Amino acid sequence: MTVIIGALLFTLYRQLIIEQQYQVTQSLESETQRYQQLALTVDRRSFAAQIRAADPQTALIAWRDSYDMVGALSFMPEDMPMLPQTRDFPILTGGPDKLHILTGGLVMTRYGPVLIATRTDNLATLIDKFISAAATAVMLTIVLTLAFGYLFSKAILRRLVQYNRLSEQIERGHYNTRLPLSWRQDEFDMLALQFNNVLDILENNLLAVRGATDNIAHDLRTPLSHIRIGLEELASKPSDEISEGCAILTEELDHCLATFDAMLSLTRIEEGQQTLDLQELSLAQLCTDLLDMADAVAESNEQTLSLSLLSDYKVFGDKYLLFQALYNLVDNAMKYSGQGARIEIIQSGPQIQIRDNGPGIPDDSKERVFERLVRLDPSRHLQGTGLGLSMVKAILSRHNAKITLTDNHPGLVVTITF
Amino acid sequence: MKILLVEDDATTIDYIVKGFLEQGHNIETASDGHQGLSLATSSQYDLVILDRMLPQLDGLKLLAALRATGNQTPVLILSALAHVDERVKGLRAGGDDYMTKPFAFSELLVRAEKLMHRGQSVPVTTDLVVGSLKMELLTRNVTLDGQELLLQPKEFQLLKYLMEHANQVISRTLLFEAVWDYHFDPRTNVIDVHIAKLRRKFEELGHGELIETVRGAGYRLRQRH
Repeated sequence: MTVIIGALLFTLYRQLIIEQQYQVTQSLESETQRYQQLALTVDRRSFAAQIRAADPQTALIAWRDSYDMVGALSFMPEDMPMLPQTRDFPILTGGPDKLHILTGGLVMTRYGPVLIATRTDNLATLIDKFISAAATAVMLTIVLTLAFGYLFSKAILRRLVQYNRLSEQIERGHYNTRLPLSWRQDEFDMLALQFNNVLDILENNLLAVRGATDNIAHDLRTPLSHIRIGLEELASKPSDEISEGCAILTEELDHCLATFDAMLSLTRIEEGQQTLDLQELSLAQLCTDLLDMADAVAESNEQTLSLSLLSDYKVFGDKYLLFQALYNLVDNAMKYSGQGARIEIIQSGPQIQIRDNGPGIPDDSKERVFERLVRLDPSRHLQGTGLGLSMVKAILSRHNAKITLTDNHPGLVVTITF
Repeated sequence: MKILLVEDDATTIDYIVKGFLEQGHNIETASDGHQGLSLATSSQYDLVILDRMLPQLDGLKLLAALRATGNQTPVLILSALAHVDERVKGLRAGGDDYMTKPFAFSELLVRAEKLMHRGQSVPVTTDLVVGSLKMELLTRNVTLDGQELLLQPKEFQLLKYLMEHANQVISRTLLFEAVWDYHFDPRTNVIDVHIAKLRRKFEELGHGELIETVRGAGYRLRQRH
């Protein structure tokens, strides 16, 4: 800022000097021409009269008429150059400003050399005044810049201190703290906005994890209390029943662990923390493997499981996760459609359908079954964690696939579209 | 066989040491990472069982340091870090197998023995014999008391695995891994269904008791004496 003002002033100063020199040159030149002309047109006496009558405001003229000096100056300085070359020389006057600086040079006329000079010290004082005014202006801008800079940095510092204080609050566990936004919409507000967005996401994740841990705690309580009861009873059991009792408790414990693991992986998949091991997969191959694994189970339930492959389709996906999701759906169909049911797996292009002719799911529950720990079978007599369909949905949504449940009249149609 | 166990939990140490001693193995223990590394590099072991979260030196760092010295002793990682990503990390660091806590000793034993026998030149077996049960691997012919058993491919694979580990309790997870390429805990009765089919075929020949269900653990193929 100061530098710019300084540069402007300097340019102005240069212009002023150039202008002054130009004016001096101009006036000296015009005077030169005037007296050369005069010398040619008038005689010596009127020439002297003209010189005597010359206006000292325009130019100071001096001419040596034989011995006497004629004109505004009482002497002729030595070594004066011929115009347009000029030289500065000092003169003494009787007035208040005793010493003056004149600029001038000689011009040759018919009647001998004439000194033509002009006062430049007025301009010089003007320039001096200009320089001091400019210096004051520059100083003033420096002072103002420093003052404003100080105030401005104070304001910035105050906001930083505020941000710091708020982040300390967050550190202490007040996760609902947000940084304030001002009306300025400056860089600080952008920073605060971004910071607040991050905090929103973190808070949501935190709540999700809290929800999951609450659910885990809740769902583990029942099997854990069974184990506790079992352990108490074990002490009073006859010795030949102890090993059987231990085995039952071990199974209960394994079920707890499985629920726990399922909860954790569900959360990780839902929150996108688990990286998918992507590879090109053939849906037809997945469905063939599905039949291969599920066939014997269906057979033991006296159900018929059939597979129709219409046209293959390739997707990029995590083989194990997708297979797990598909198996889960087929497993559900086998579990809930009852003895003698008919289950079909139909793969056609990007679509896989699993149809059964069991009891189906009532319309008002079709969305609810995807929620965590929702089990439509209130007695929960079939083994399961209540997380299967939540897991299916999470896996499919990570693969950008859609799942819909519709009626098969009777039964359920699960449609997955990639 | 000489085993090194690097583990800092006393209860787990006792459980594992007792198990391997009963099986006739020689086992030494280290309770922190530094001790574990110095033991593993200074003497020769057939297997290292390695915990991950150890005092002083993390299990994976220990493993990396061990592998950096050119030591190729099989390492079985035994960790409470159960997630797939962690498993991948462990195997990438040079682990040969990865088991998660809590675990059943029977499964640890099967996995440990598999790793310990890996380097040895196994005599090429074409036949498996467990009591009166015979399996010809080339012709896939299975006989019980001289009578032929007709098995589905999956049943054949299951029985083969059980015969290779006769008299050992085999968990459902191990059986699942042996038969299917997909690794996940199915939480279903897939294995039970196949075992039931196998057992029914045994029953038809009067030997249903050969495949024993061990509640809370898995299955065991019994060798009749």
